[in-house]
Amino acid sequence: MRLWLRRLRVMTAKELLQLSRDPVLLIILAWFFTAEIYIAGSGISMSLKHASVTVVDLDQSEASRELVARFRQPHFDVRETGFSSRAAAAMLDRGERMLLLEIPPGFERDLEAGRAVEVQLQADTTNTVLGTLATSYAAQIVGRYATDRALDELGIGDLQLAAMPRIEERRRVWYNPNQVDPWFMSISELMTVITMLSLMLPAAAAVREKERGTIEQLAVSPLTPFQILFPKVIAMTLAILAGTAVALFGILLPVFEVPVKGSLPFFFAVTALYALAVSGLGLFIATLSRNLGQVSMLVIVVLMPMLLLSGAWTPPEAMPWLLRRLMVISPLYWFIELGYGILLKGAGLEVLWDSVLGLAVLGSLLFAFGVFRFRRQFG
Amino acid sequence: MNRARILAVASKEWREILRDRLFFTMAFGVPLLIMLVLGYGLSLDVENIPFAVVDRDRSELSRDYVHQFSDSRYFDLLGYARDERELARLLADSRIRLGLVIPDRFQERLQGDRPVEVQALIDGMFPYRAQTTKGYLAAIHAELNRELLVEFLGRTRGMTPERAAERVAPVRLEQRYLFNQALESDWSMASGLMMLVLMVSPPFLTALGVVREKESGSIYNIYASTVTRGEFILGKLIPYVGVSCFNILVLWWVATRIFGAPFKGDPLFFYLASVVYVICTAGIGLLVSILVRTQVAAVLLTMVITFIPSMLYSGLLVPVESMSREAQLQAHLFPPFWYLQIAWGSFLKGLGWERLWSQTALLAGYAAVLWTLGLSLFHKRPKR
Repeated sequence: MRLWLRRLRVMTAKELLQLSRDPVLLIILAWFFTAEIYIAGSGISMSLKHASVTVVDLDQSEASRELVARFRQPHFDVRETGFSSRAAAAMLDRGERMLLLEIPPGFERDLEAGRAVEVQLQADTTNTVLGTLATSYAAQIVGRYATDRALDELGIGDLQLAAMPRIEERRRVWYNPNQVDPWFMSISELMTVITMLSLMLPAAAAVREKERGTIEQLAVSPLTPFQILFPKVIAMTLAILAGTAVALFGILLPVFEVPVKGSLPFFFAVTALYALAVSGLGLFIATLSRNLGQVSMLVIVVLMPMLLLSGAWTPPEAMPWLLRRLMVISPLYWFIELGYGILLKGAGLEVLWDSVLGLAVLGSLLFAFGVFRFRRQFG
Repeated sequence: MNRARILAVASKEWREILRDRLFFTMAFGVPLLIMLVLGYGLSLDVENIPFAVVDRDRSELSRDYVHQFSDSRYFDLLGYARDERELARLLADSRIRLGLVIPDRFQERLQGDRPVEVQALIDGMFPYRAQTTKGYLAAIHAELNRELLVEFLGRTRGMTPERAAERVAPVRLEQRYLFNQALESDWSMASGLMMLVLMVSPPFLTALGVVREKESGSIYNIYASTVTRGEFILGKLIPYVGVSCFNILVLWWVATRIFGAPFKGDPLFFYLASVVYVICTAGIGLLVSILVRTQVAAVLLTMVITFIPSMLYSGLLVPVESMSREAQLQAHLFPPFWYLQIAWGSFLKGLGWERLWSQTALLAGYAAVLWTLGLSLFHKRPKR
């Protein structure tokens, strides 16, 4: 047993040494865990800000001006009020404006006469996020205007409101009350980076030995396949954990002020578990391929769907049913729940045990499969 | 430049691609596969938001109220919770994204013409989803309140329902979605994914092609041969650019036929612009291959340079308009941003050469810079 451990230790040291002797790789690693996360967290947001609106006001009345005035910053930015629908539509076509609000002639007159009027909103929805948010906000603004107007016309004040059937909504947004984008973005990016590296590094380390023929040396040594492969995974996981620590204490906490509610040791433990699970997948890829060209192609095949479908960048609920079920086999799916759960939501093992278990089962399956394939090739 | 030598290098490279079966299959298969999987699954729609309810009233009205949510395609009822503690637990576990608390005497108060207060707890982890959820909530409540008011006016002021409805909602908003009438995120996605796939796959192919020779040492044959560096690089990259040019057609076919995205623009122009884009992204791979020595580093560096710009800075997922000034500037520096305008312009807006020439020219300029840089940095006498 002591010999077994020593072999493991020696091999791990060898892997770490090998890693430390590739300066370009180290620079890339450092870049990934600092600049990359900073860039993604600082500039990127998925909120509606300053959406350009062009207004065609064919009524030019007090009522129409009041409605337009409600399209305010920070969500909307009314650039101009014109009279020609044609010119405004052309601007929309050219992509210079995102929204066109058209108020029909006789708007105020109809309102005062108690007739319902229709205002029209045209939206450039090429970008789904903006399209969804802009139309939803616009509907809210017009809806509120209509209600205010109606209550006013009907002579219903605050006092009468208390004697009417109404549903009032008290909403609270938890974990991120002001919807600060950098919190979400930086954590997502950190997870993306961890995923990329823990998939790529062990796979590359394993296949490199194959490509150069040094695997033959290892195969004739007294090491078992597990002892050859596991140190690679340990070494890479250590490197990734170190990187995660740098990202967390160097960028996430001081720069973006992400509030960490849960236990950090728990987070690191989960990260290690995750890195191991993904490494298993990487090793499996390494056994399938003969050179790094093949490895990287396979890595892309696995990585892109994993990153984009597990919920790191898009809401996963709207995916087709089949894919949502299939995402259970993506380790990132579990890691996202765990990562956000621990960092932002402050959840502990008593809540997250099922995700931890899922990740552990998936990880050991992947890992065992990788070792099994490797043994078949070199045993 | 000697054409025969360029062709010789190109045919050698092509043969190498052909003989590596797995690599060959994947050079064509990977773009297709990614396009299919992501096109099918990637969606920014906020729908089926799982929610749970604490119903303290358990009346007919409160059940109707919950139905307003569960019947819409935006919400998906997970079940009833006992108390707020359980809601909090479900939220922390990400099982639900929204929790509703209906107070006791909900029905009694509404029927007695009194306002009621409903509590909504929203998971703010993903800001975009939280904001959209807030919008849906507001819309549902506004509609319910209008109905309540119509009924109230009919009862107290004797208005007919039609008349009351008109008085209660004097202004209606008619919305029209341009370019993507159904607000189908599939259409935007499928055409946008061409940008993503063509940004990622050509650089990988080219970078690996060159670095592989460096790492295995076979590049010394080139160093010692009469092939000039220009001939080598051109010959080396022609097969990879060729593969990607073929892939453009396949991807276009998938986007229009399988995902049903309308193509309203000029096919020839779009194809040529795509070829320019591919040459440009292949140039990125070339530059990467010159900077690094090992294939691992090449792959990782290519990921850094291609993944993030195409996923986050192109405008596909994250709208460029709402980025900070610095980030917007950054977005304009990457080719995917320009190509996405070409792709969306050609697919959804039916724009052609006359409106998209500047974007294409920019890409061409970008490609020229990358290739010149690559050519001048590649030396047959390495300094090591």
